[in-house]
Amino acid sequence: MRWLFPISRMAALMVLAAALSACSTSVTRMDAGEVRDLSGAWNDTDSQQVSAEMIRDVLSRTWLTDFTREQKRRPAVIVGEVRNLSHEHINVNTFISDMERALINSDRVQFVASSTERQEIREERKDQDLNASEATRKAMGQEKGADFMLKGAINTIIDASGRDQLRYYQVDLTLISLADNRKVWAGQKKIKKFVERSNLRF
Amino acid sequence: MTGAAASTDGMSPRVLLAGLAVSLVMSGCATYSDSFGVIQRNLAARQYDAALQNIEKQSGSKTDRVLYLLNKGMVLRMKRDFAGSNHALEAAKAEMERLYAASVSEHALSFLVNDATVSYGGEDYEQVLVHLYMALNYLELGQPGEARVETLQVDAKLREIGEKVSGSKFTGDAFSRYITGLIYEDDGERSDAMISYREAYEAYRKYRADYGLAIPDMLKHDLLRLARREGLKDEATQYRREFGIAIPPDESASSKQGELVFVLNNGLAPIKRERAVTAFDPASGILVRIALPYYESRPNNVAGARISAAGRQTTTELMEDIDAIARQSLDSHMPAIVARSIARAAAKTAAIKAATRRNNNNNDAAMSGLLGEFAMQATAVATERADTRSWLTLPPTSIWHACPCRRAITRLKLNCWARTAKLWRPANIPES
Repeated sequence: MRWLFPISRMAALMVLAAALSACSTSVTRMDAGEVRDLSGAWNDTDSQQVSAEMIRDVLSRTWLTDFTREQKRRPAVIVGEVRNLSHEHINVNTFISDMERALINSDRVQFVASSTERQEIREERKDQDLNASEATRKAMGQEKGADFMLKGAINTIIDASGRDQLRYYQVDLTLISLADNRKVWAGQKKIKKFVERSNLRF
Repeated sequence: MTGAAASTDGMSPRVLLAGLAVSLVMSGCATYSDSFGVIQRNLAARQYDAALQNIEKQSGSKTDRVLYLLNKGMVLRMKRDFAGSNHALEAAKAEMERLYAASVSEHALSFLVNDATVSYGGEDYEQVLVHLYMALNYLELGQPGEARVETLQVDAKLREIGEKVSGSKFTGDAFSRYITGLIYEDDGERSDAMISYREAYEAYRKYRADYGLAIPDMLKHDLLRLARREGLKDEATQYRREFGIAIPPDESASSKQGELVFVLNNGLAPIKRERAVTAFDPASGILVRIALPYYESRPNNVAGARISAAGRQTTTELMEDIDAIARQSLDSHMPAIVARSIARAAAKTAAIKAATRRNNNNNDAAMSGLLGEFAMQATAVATERADTRSWLTLPPTSIWHACPCRRAITRLKLNCWARTAKLWRPANIPES
């Protein structure tokens, strides 16, 4: 029976140490490009991979050079609906915003405000019509019409058995000409993940 | 010297065990459902803020976190705060996902205390219905795309349940499948809608066999209508023969028609109560207690509803009987619950016997030994409580009705059938 004492004391010390380590919140700053997968669901790494692939692809295709050569100006693109047909609540704005930023900063493509964004702008213009001075007033009906619309969809295929899951995401983006409905560019990014859930926890 | 050494050695394991049991008595003393009475009264009086405040008091519990979030989500939905409701239900989903892994320490503890020490991860039907209510919330928020995401999650969850529990009767939630079909059809995805309606039909046939619930008329009409629209002539003929209903009117007229879908969540799900037996075991001279849960229905006075809109009047029909589903779910788990309860009683008895045997060897500490033994027996009995946890704010019978309407609906009248008074009473429809 005497061996109970050391073991009980050790056990108590271990429990105390574990409890103390869980007592405070710890925050570690990470680089935005660092990969860290927690649950297997769509995360920032997926969004960054998609935007990197799409940007690289859209700027290297002939649609841009063809348009610039024929029209002698940069094309104007408006962001349309990117449908989430997946089984997760994915925020599509993260990679769409990345694409917009990269394309605008490349000085080869122009973007115009999307239908949701321009509502506020139009109201501001109407307000300026009433309240702003003649010199600084911006006239209605001077918006730049877009040449292309960016639309897309995210699809998923899930294969699950027991605690294992195979998740497949496919992001498809297309540029459609507003003049004649032609699809001038189609970008695609496929992501596949294998997620193993643990059966036991402490 | 020997006597003193024997008493020291005899005291330490007994003190440890008694100390452990006493510290856990606090967590094991009341059953979960007992503490819910005040929230139920708040809901009956439609005092949603008071109900939320009372639910917040449960926010600290680690093992019942899923229930706290589910109840919070449902009451926020009742309060028509759909965004807040979805936030809570999404957190509940994440917590349920985390609890997929069984905890080693919690199960070890439950062998010593009671079943309520294991974190509650939600019954099968509760896990599916979270998605359903989130989908309904998204539809109210005007986000059909997000509602569609939830229906896909329902599908994945039902497949997972079907694989995990081979003998379970709950392999398909008919109501969820039907709403999935409606969401797809609203989105224009008619082939996916057809698949969902077919699955709902299969599930309702099982419901008819298991619970005696009739197949809803709306589903029959939707199956026939969509089969004709998709050009599935053989299937349409089969449905027409099976259901004995007429061919729906001209297609061009129906494409310009809208449809009003009215969902009535009537009352609250059944509550688990405890049935306990405390007996004196003559062989060992130790008090033994076995406590098992059972469902008690919480009937509502409203038995149905009648909707008047755009010149038409129709009554609601029962689409999902949570009462029956919950009872069957408990029945399927009962053998395991009984086995665990008996094993726990045997383990507690053995622990008490082992401790008292040591005490009997030492006459000096007889009095304190007797008190210690009494304390151990008392805590063993007091901690033996049934696990009465379930999602208590879940509505049991979701009755609803779809009515095709040619023009925009400007006025809606709702009458509810009061069970006790046996007459139709008008009810208010909340403004959106």
